[in-house]
Amino acid sequence: MSPLQSKVLLVDDEPSVRRALHATLSALGFDIEEASGGEQAVSFVRTERYDAVLLDINMPGMGGIEACRAIRRLFPGLPILMLTVRDNEDDKIEALDAGADDYVTKPFHVGELMARVRAAVRRSQATQDDYNAVITIGDIELDPERRLVRKSGNIIHLTPKEFDLLRFLMWHAGKPLTHARLLTSVWGSEYGKEFEYLRTFVHQLRTKLEDNPSRPEYIVTDSHIGYRFRDATQKGLGS
Amino acid sequence: MVGAVAGAAATLLLSYCAFRLHFNLPTTGFIDLLVVVLTALRFGFWEATGSSLVAIGCLDYFFVTPILTFHVADPQNWVALASFEITALIVSRLSVQAQRQMQQAILQRCNAEKLYQLSRSILLLNRQEPPGPQIANLIKKIIEVDAVAIFDSALVRLDTAGTCTKEDEELARNTYFRNTNHDDLELYKWQRVLRLGSTPIGAIVLCGFYLAPLLVDAIASLAGAALERARSFDKETRAEAARQTEQLRTTVLDGLAHAFKTPLTVILTCTSGLLEMKTLSPAQAELVELIDQHSTRLDAAATHLLRMAQLESAEIRLRREQVAIFPVIGEILGKCSAQLWGHSVQVCCANKDLAVSGDRELLAMTITELVVNAAKYSSADSPITVSAEERENYVVISVHNEGSVIAFKDRELIFERFYRSSATKYRASGSGIGLSFAKKTAEAHQGNIWVNSATETGTTFFLSLSANRKEGT
Repeated sequence: MSPLQSKVLLVDDEPSVRRALHATLSALGFDIEEASGGEQAVSFVRTERYDAVLLDINMPGMGGIEACRAIRRLFPGLPILMLTVRDNEDDKIEALDAGADDYVTKPFHVGELMARVRAAVRRSQATQDDYNAVITIGDIELDPERRLVRKSGNIIHLTPKEFDLLRFLMWHAGKPLTHARLLTSVWGSEYGKEFEYLRTFVHQLRTKLEDNPSRPEYIVTDSHIGYRFRDATQKGLGS
Repeated sequence: MVGAVAGAAATLLLSYCAFRLHFNLPTTGFIDLLVVVLTALRFGFWEATGSSLVAIGCLDYFFVTPILTFHVADPQNWVALASFEITALIVSRLSVQAQRQMQQAILQRCNAEKLYQLSRSILLLNRQEPPGPQIANLIKKIIEVDAVAIFDSALVRLDTAGTCTKEDEELARNTYFRNTNHDDLELYKWQRVLRLGSTPIGAIVLCGFYLAPLLVDAIASLAGAALERARSFDKETRAEAARQTEQLRTTVLDGLAHAFKTPLTVILTCTSGLLEMKTLSPAQAELVELIDQHSTRLDAAATHLLRMAQLESAEIRLRREQVAIFPVIGEILGKCSAQLWGHSVQVCCANKDLAVSGDRELLAMTITELVVNAAKYSSADSPITVSAEERENYVVISVHNEGSVIAFKDRELIFERFYRSSATKYRASGSGIGLSFAKKTAEAHQGNIWVNSATETGTTFFLSLSANRKEGT
């Protein structure tokens, strides 16, 4: 999609960061609107339609995580990217659990930020009907209706739970998924802390799907946070 | 004996008075019975029995016909005298029993009151002072024992109150180490192990002749609970202090992180944005790229320093996962290429699947520190070698460089915080916390770090970590 169509709400309490990002992203074709805090951001999304929200985590008043929860309640499908100064995994997990789609640690390169925004917008535009559509990422093809997985054309035999986990990961390709989210979504709401369990299943999937399971290319670990399936547009893995 | 004589004398006197006043046999019999009961209450059963026998004699002598002899003519009088004696014996027995029970009840009530007072006072112990002396003094004062000795195993201290001897102190210590209770009824010494559940936490020795086992047990339980309460409070205070320090450190470091990262975010957003726009002339692009590169470097250095400062002052909490060594070394060399000052790096790792269970981030930072140090201190254009191999149950990672020998006296000291060898401190920049951080990381992984250095062989840093061959997660 063309970035011209992307209207992005930028929420940060630091005026210089807003100024720099506004100038840069506008020049690169994004339509940027600014908010200086969580409350303002929530009131903006109520009245205006945005394609994505860039939300700083640490802000006085209504913080980024609280704002993320509020926006998510209003618009379940609106992509939210968190910006964080501290490279703190707990903050990131909390943000992802609050409904954020992704996070970027400050300072960042604009190219990386744009790629993340575009990926999140693209994911959000895939409709629910597509949940049964065949997903192909790199060499791996997953057919949800026939419950079939192929790698380079060869059928890979997966157990029902392995299939469900892979389907969830591939459906959210490019998006970091916390351990707790994976467990509750694939195993059920009574799960959430059985990290070892999840680790075993991911290990089995890697053994079946990856060329070198100790250096995975598809199911990558987001250290201390969770897992993410490589994005379909990732270099070397054209979809 | 005194009681018996007094009882007998009173009976004799009253009988004689009754005789002189011309009382009859039944009236005098009741008066004598009263004296017997009073003797029983005052002196005890056997004294009362003596009085009753004297009373029989008096009644027989003064009131049974023929009077003023001990002869009994009428058999009915035998029955009367026998009835008197039996009644006197039964009544005195019952009186004595009732009195004894009453005394016991009073003693128990008194003990209960003392225990209640002790427990209340123990709740009000001064938390700034050690608990042992306070508990010992309270027991001495409230229970009114002769001596108290308390051994506290956690503080390894002995506290006494009253007339405690060296022997009593030794006894308290031994009671704890032998873990057995003992009552010495001859010397009136009571030894109890103080426990929390089934765990011994100390011992107490009490000296006092009127103590009872139940009372001693109750005192020991109270003393044990008080010691444990003081310990928990102490632990809580220390945890609270640690928490506050941790909070302060986090706040200061967060503030510093914000102060560094916000300007860097603005600079990097501008430079990377300018480069993305692709509208700059080649000369402008090169300059912007230079700003971009050096801001990125500054960011990496700030992150590294802040992270190390954070870890240095805190207990390292590992986030363990399977870390494959070979890929990590590759990543590190890629990231720190700008800090290698043109030195070539050779990686020797025969087993590419070599893995350890550890904290990926900390291990990467530690290896980075060793590699960057090697680059800083090695002679110009000499190569650096990074090796990883398995030795018995350990994975040993070594970083070798040539030049700048570390003096023997410095080989331990360089791992101390802020120590910089006098030979190198003006030669290369450094914060003085890198190697102390590396040592802390190695220890947190149950590993070790050391250095070999000689002019002929060069300098090699070794980092050993417990081995694990599982695949990465």
